Amino acid sequence: MKRLFVFALCWLMFGAWAETETPLKNIEVGTDLPTLERGAETVMTVCTGCHTLKYIRFRELAKLGIAKDKVDAWRGSNPMGATIASQMPADAALAAFGRAPPDLSLIVKAREGEANYIYSYLLGYYTAPDGTTGNHYYSVTRMPDVLSVAGVTDPAQLAQLNQKARDVASFLSWAADPHAQERKSLGYYVIGYLLIFTTMLYFLKGRIWARLDKA
Amino acid sequence: MANSIIDWIDQRFPLTHIVKHELTDYPTPRNLSYWWNFGFLAGFVLVLQLVTGIFLAMYYKPDVSMAFDSVQHIMRDINYGWLLRYIHSTGASAFFVVIYIHMARTLYYASYHKPRELMWWTGQALMLMIMATAFMGYLLPWGQMSYWGAQVITNLFGVTPYIGDSIVLWLRGDFSVGDATLTRFFALHYLFPFLIFAVVGIHLVALHTVKSSNPSGISLADKDNIPFHPYFTIKDLFGLGVYLIVFCTFVFFIPGSFIEAANNIPANPLMTPPHIEPEWYFLPFYAILRSIPDMLGGVVAMGLSVVIFAILPFADRSNIPGGARYRPVYRAMFYLFIIDILVLGYVGSKPPSGVLVPIGQVATLIYFATFFLLPFISKWEERWMRARGLSPELIALLEPRPQHDNMTQKGEAA
Repeated sequence: MKRLFVFALCWLMFGAWAETETPLKNIEVGTDLPTLERGAETVMTVCTGCHTLKYIRFRELAKLGIAKDKVDAWRGSNPMGATIASQMPADAALAAFGRAPPDLSLIVKAREGEANYIYSYLLGYYTAPDGTTGNHYYSVTRMPDVLSVAGVTDPAQLAQLNQKARDVASFLSWAADPHAQERKSLGYYVIGYLLIFTTMLYFLKGRIWARLDKA
Repeated sequence: MANSIIDWIDQRFPLTHIVKHELTDYPTPRNLSYWWNFGFLAGFVLVLQLVTGIFLAMYYKPDVSMAFDSVQHIMRDINYGWLLRYIHSTGASAFFVVIYIHMARTLYYASYHKPRELMWWTGQALMLMIMATAFMGYLLPWGQMSYWGAQVITNLFGVTPYIGDSIVLWLRGDFSVGDATLTRFFALHYLFPFLIFAVVGIHLVALHTVKSSNPSGISLADKDNIPFHPYFTIKDLFGLGVYLIVFCTFVFFIPGSFIEAANNIPANPLMTPPHIEPEWYFLPFYAILRSIPDMLGGVVAMGLSVVIFAILPFADRSNIPGGARYRPVYRAMFYLFIIDILVLGYVGSKPPSGVLVPIGQVATLIYFATFFLLPFISKWEERWMRARGLSPELIALLEPRPQHDNMTQKGEAA
């Protein structure tokens, strides 16, 4: 009886997994400065044409290690403490697309599949037989194919696009969770401390409980 | 100096007596397994939630136009705000893991039997209050799942005959979930932990009156009880260490595990997410709600599925102690019930379609049948066990022995 249920459960899970549509492409998110800097370059020069990053200030880009002159070029006359606005006013974007383009500072966390989704989505554009552009991962998307992915077949060019998409996904991962590195490195110390402390408690418990056998 | 201060206090407040009676001399069964650590852990999680919650409340803004942003402010700009928030959001799930294990232990060993009925019922009250607190807390980040979850759940109260609409209006403070709902949920989310604390106090007073249950299911002789301190203080501390290793792994390395992707999108009353799903700890109950085709019936079944545990001290009529430890049929029912809950949880996490609908309905039936058949099965099982002949171990346990009368003992000590 019990086994039957476990089988049923496994079968259900497999069934659910098999029926999902186009599977996402998996990437290793980069956390190194060159990757983040290239990603920031694309985001700041392409994405912010329509999107905002309202939780990220220019100061934080500089603090991340991105060259000061680059940050200065992106912010123009905005102060370092300003958050990243889009070049298109919100009402103009609404008029152009029918929907306000979403803010990008949390977009990685706001999508099932996180960075893999962003990466797959950016590369998911294709040219349909009737000449229109579609996206494998979000069929009703209103965002144009900004990286010009659709129709590209040249392997060298594709590799370049893949890297560009990975850089963007990596930068947006940082933007969604800027304390991730700090959190993980602190986490190793916390877990390490707890392991030592708990091991000591375990032996102490053994010694204290040993008194019972002597009595 | 220290002694004279303690003497001064003891003349006015029974400090030494309390420490002695409830800690250093408090008799605790020697044979408790690690499954008995979870009560202490639940207390620890409660304190941790309370402390992190108070600090979060210093920066959180319960206002529909600021709530989402204030959470991001905490996550990004406040020193270690991310740590406080992740401890709090992971802690909510951890709380349910701990109390569900605590309850499963009680079920397995049938610890709810006489004289621990009030322990079980105060525990039930605590579970309900924790559920309410968690539900209200989930609205506060004001994400898409927060909003739509609250919308769906408050809507359920609309099935109340005659006054349904008024109740929904009263809960929300508005015709739909909005600013009034957010502010009142915040106020109540801050209040409830203190009420929970008070009920924990009652739970503990009852515990110290009837003392801990133990795997054998009977009250042990004096020689088998040992002082709580130092034996169980160190055992609880070791358990806490193990718990914290698991907990901190989630907090520091996979803190997003319990935050739905959709909840990182600000609440939008004009855009329904494709699939509204409650937090994992409500999924089995949610599956029961959806398994009943009729809305009112579903809500009643869901409510019943949460409170039905209270009938167990009466429903289990067996006189064999130790629950599943000595009773093969009860043990089989226990495992079937746990698997049934897992199946319900899985069904609750998926859109209701295809084969999942009948599976959910069968699982719902098994869920309630477990409770309603227990009075008959437990009686039949005892007869069957006695007819087959009890093991020497059980016969020894069932022998009448001079029992502690805890109340008189307390009276003497006082």
